[in-house]
Amino acid sequence: MKENRIMVSSAIRLARNYEDFPFDLSTSPIQAEECVSRTANALTLSGVTGFELIRLDGGDERALKALVEEGLISGDLMRTAETAAVLLNRADSVSIMINEEDHLRIQAVTSGLNLQTAADRCFAVEDALSRQVRFAYDEELGYLTSCPTNTGTGMRASLVLHLPLLTRAKQMGTVGQIAAKVGLTVRGEYGEGTEALGDLYDLSNQVTLGRTEQEIISTVTAVGRQLMDMELTLRENALRDDRLRLEDEIYRAQGLLKGARLMKLAEFYPLWSSVRLGAAMNLLDYSLPLMDSLLSMAQPNHLQSFYATLPEEQARAECVRTALDSGR
Amino acid sequence: MLCDECNLNEASYTVSLMMEGQITTRHLCPECMARVNTHMNAQTVKTLLSSIMAAITGERVASAQEEEEEDDLNSPACPRCGMKFSQYKRSGKLGCPACYEAFREQLRPMLLKIHGRVQHAGRRPLCTEAAQRSRTRQEELSREMALAVSLEDFETAARLRDQIRALAREEKEAQP
Ligand SMILES: [Zn+2]
Ligand SMILES: [Zn+2]
Repeated sequence: MKENRIMVSSAIRLARNYEDFPFDLSTSPIQAEECVSRTANALTLSGVTGFELIRLDGGDERALKALVEEGLISGDLMRTAETAAVLLNRADSVSIMINEEDHLRIQAVTSGLNLQTAADRCFAVEDALSRQVRFAYDEELGYLTSCPTNTGTGMRASLVLHLPLLTRAKQMGTVGQIAAKVGLTVRGEYGEGTEALGDLYDLSNQVTLGRTEQEIISTVTAVGRQLMDMELTLRENALRDDRLRLEDEIYRAQGLLKGARLMKLAEFYPLWSSVRLGAAMNLLDYSLPLMDSLLSMAQPNHLQSFYATLPEEQARAECVRTALDSGR
Repeated sequence: MLCDECNLNEASYTVSLMMEGQITTRHLCPECMARVNTHMNAQTVKTLLSSIMAAITGERVASAQEEEEEDDLNSPACPRCGMKFSQYKRSGKLGCPACYEAFREQLRPMLLKIHGRVQHAGRRPLCTEAAQRSRTRQEELSREMALAVSLEDFETAARLRDQIRALAREEKEAQP
């Protein structure tokens, strides 16, 4: 599919709060615990299965950090670890984070361009819960959240896009300004501040009040598709006008990823970006799911759980080489 | 990424600024960053100078903390959790769901600025039992539909799909 050449993943997140508790329960352990058990019980009573309850306090820290690296829980949840928990459905990549900034953050992640599927999974969980519990809701302001920037639908729809050529054309600043005009925001998926390591960007809605969930999903999808078309055009142009240089870059990056015996994370991202570009343009024979899974596999905590005995840089080189040798 | 301020140079700094009680992140180029710094210095100098004047004239200059306390004193509070509106302006976070009711008038212009609209559109809780029953039935039917599709019984699947659509339509019409 054309979309997969650019779109790495889609995610939906719904913020919900219980009517009868203050938003911040990080210093109220009894209410926080009630929040966890109420949610878990509501899910069970509704007959929803496949969710595992994980408490962050006293949990295996490396395993939890690996969940953050996979995008299944947020880094913020680790910050309220004493009272936080997550109900996780690994098979569908659905998680219900409990006691983060809001009481509940229902999140679903899918690969490629698939916001609707992710949304349907979140809504199914929400429907099941709302049969047993009451969420804070106001006819004018919608679902009430700890921070008014999320009130209304409480929904964040985001796409992760791989845009190496738009980045090189120095167009991402302008793209961000244009996106802001329709209530969207563009940020680097990895890295601090203006950095976008691996040329990966997160496109998501900033505005949550006054638009329906469908409008939000359509806007994010439409802008995502436009960025995709721009990037694909730049790729075609590069193939036509500058093929030798493009191939040189891609094959060199492949050589480094396959030959290196030690690799820092900072070195990995740009090489990964070039090789993914090569795979997406059919210059290299790697599957895109393989390339995308490398992103979380090459993260520090993930590496540690698979290569416990090796130092990080060595483990990363091993992991990347093994994956690329397996091909698909 | 280009500088948010001049839109000309590549941004190399990320700064968080307090603007109208909200923290905003801006990406700036070295030139604009320097300007922000001098602006801040000018502000600091002004504060320092006014404290000298106060010492000379014997006038009291309120410290930032005193101003906050003063602010809190006159600010409306949430009857449920006790949070003051001035506290919200500093932290950006509300205390409890009842805060929205308590500060509705003050929040409206802020929400308008953030979202451009203040009337919610979209999903709402299933408030009536009839609606909940209908939703449960829709879910049962869609599971049956998925089963029918997997068995390649498309006739049954199409019939189930129509039933689901009809229920969804009823549900929508029943809403106020
Ligand atoms: Zn500038
Ligand atoms: Zn309150």
